[in-house]
Amino acid sequence: MKLEFSLPSEAKGWKWDGKGKKYNSRTLFDYINGAAELYLAYRFQNLAVRRFEKPGQPPIVVEVYEMASAEDAYGVFSFERQDEDAGMGQGSEFGGGLLRFWKGKYFVTIYAEGESPEVESAIISLGRELARSIRVSGSAPKVVSYLPDEKAGLIEKSVRYLRNHILLNQRFYISNQNILKLSGETEAALAQYLRGKQKPHLLLIRYLSEKKAEEALQSFKKVYMPEAKEKGFLQTEDRKWTMAKRKKEFILIIFGAADLGDADELIRAAEVRIKEKGR
Amino acid sequence: MKETGIITRRDFLRGTAGAALTAAFGSGISADAHAEQRAKVVLSRSAEVLTEGGKVNGEIIQSMLDEAVNTLLGEREPVKSWGKLFKSSDIVGIKSNVWWNMPTPRELEGAIRKRLLDVGVKEKNIDIDDRGVLKKPVFLNSTALVNVRPIRTHHWSGVGGCLKNHIMFVPNPAAYHEEACSDLGKIWTYPIIKGKTRLNILSALQPQFYGRGAHFFDRRYVWPYKGLIVGTDPVAVDAIGARLLHLKRIVHFGEDRPLDVPPVHISVADKKYRLGVSDLSRIQLIKLGWMEEVLI
Repeated sequence: MKLEFSLPSEAKGWKWDGKGKKYNSRTLFDYINGAAELYLAYRFQNLAVRRFEKPGQPPIVVEVYEMASAEDAYGVFSFERQDEDAGMGQGSEFGGGLLRFWKGKYFVTIYAEGESPEVESAIISLGRELARSIRVSGSAPKVVSYLPDEKAGLIEKSVRYLRNHILLNQRFYISNQNILKLSGETEAALAQYLRGKQKPHLLLIRYLSEKKAEEALQSFKKVYMPEAKEKGFLQTEDRKWTMAKRKKEFILIIFGAADLGDADELIRAAEVRIKEKGR
Repeated sequence: MKETGIITRRDFLRGTAGAALTAAFGSGISADAHAEQRAKVVLSRSAEVLTEGGKVNGEIIQSMLDEAVNTLLGEREPVKSWGKLFKSSDIVGIKSNVWWNMPTPRELEGAIRKRLLDVGVKEKNIDIDDRGVLKKPVFLNSTALVNVRPIRTHHWSGVGGCLKNHIMFVPNPAAYHEEACSDLGKIWTYPIIKGKTRLNILSALQPQFYGRGAHFFDRRYVWPYKGLIVGTDPVAVDAIGARLLHLKRIVHFGEDRPLDVPPVHISVADKKYRLGVSDLSRIQLIKLGWMEEVLI
């Protein structure tokens, strides 16, 4: 791993134990058996791990994941995001003793193997120093920018960037089979919106071509909403509305809208964003 | 008409995932015979089993386990109830779980071991392990297994319970992560464990009811439920465990916040692999001990 950042060796009395572990895509399972697939799905390259110790205090573990691109680092970050912004990197959160952030092609986690009043400030301090040392920034995936913003009720922490249907199912289960034909050539963004008392999901997928998008839309309609036929919308068993539509090489799907008008409004807002942001 | 083998979110919305799963994966025995199948699960709780620091009281966990197994098997004495499950000639592997922040409590492992010794199983014929089961002679030559682990939400399978716990009996666990780990039941059909698991125990002493990732432990979503869920039917035990986590999420979040991954593998273990009962209406749950905030 060619380091394009510098790992601190001390923070608030916690000192690096002097050992450093490194993992690549073949050895990642040795470190995180059970979770490695997530990182590999986002084109994981390398991992550097350091441990910090202070007598009488829980050890702190710093993990720096190098991904293939900034989009991938953003993707890993977005996939499990749920907490408040910690104000570092290009996106961050801190909660439950776990600090996560992304910057450039790096995704970083810092956590303690236990609790103490002092350890949280040491975690934040380590994170700030590490984030500052990563010199090169990157861009979030463009497909995410097509999501309607806060004016439409976007719940920022719910935004996910997804690379395959297994990841999609982990965040919003649709089907055991890949009925939306997600692949290495597609990109998907998923988000929730606060609309009155409901929190519908908007799934936005970009395909390589309009033809492929249309094929995926028909596949989805055939399996998920066969009663809707060509209408592209229906009320599902939970009395909420699902609507699916193609716009150029994109598919837009709303799940769980309170009424048909609301689903349509969100779809239209996404169409406007696609037009505004350019393809 | 939906194609055979496909399950969608709508199957869960209409509450027919079980029927969809049957259609998707086929039926092993007749519907009538299956309709008669019922399961018994025992929930045993004690307000005193954990200290303020979260340590497990070994004596109390032993009595909780004894009460649960006695009730499950209709006996008064632990030696008699355990004697219904294990013979002195058995070679018994205790399949535990070492996940770093929520391992199976040592005290619970010890309580199981004690009762196996009490029924005459030789000490050399008992072993406790998780990730090393494929290398340990007792597990490789086992005639019986005890399956014990904490109940928690799980990144790949929705719920980490007894069915999931046997994943270490295959050399390539990651191969079972696809489709929400739906095929975990298949592992139970392999010769190394088929028909050997006599007792399934979910430690619900401090379950994790919500979380993200397989790698991280989030102490905000762990609560001192102080219970054990015990049964001979792993599917029924897991169905009860999954229901408990579901109810706790409703209480905690004030809304029905579903798991990111529905625990499809529990239904599949029932409908496809016939390992037990997943339908809660066909599970008899017997509750013992402390009833405060029992939820289920």
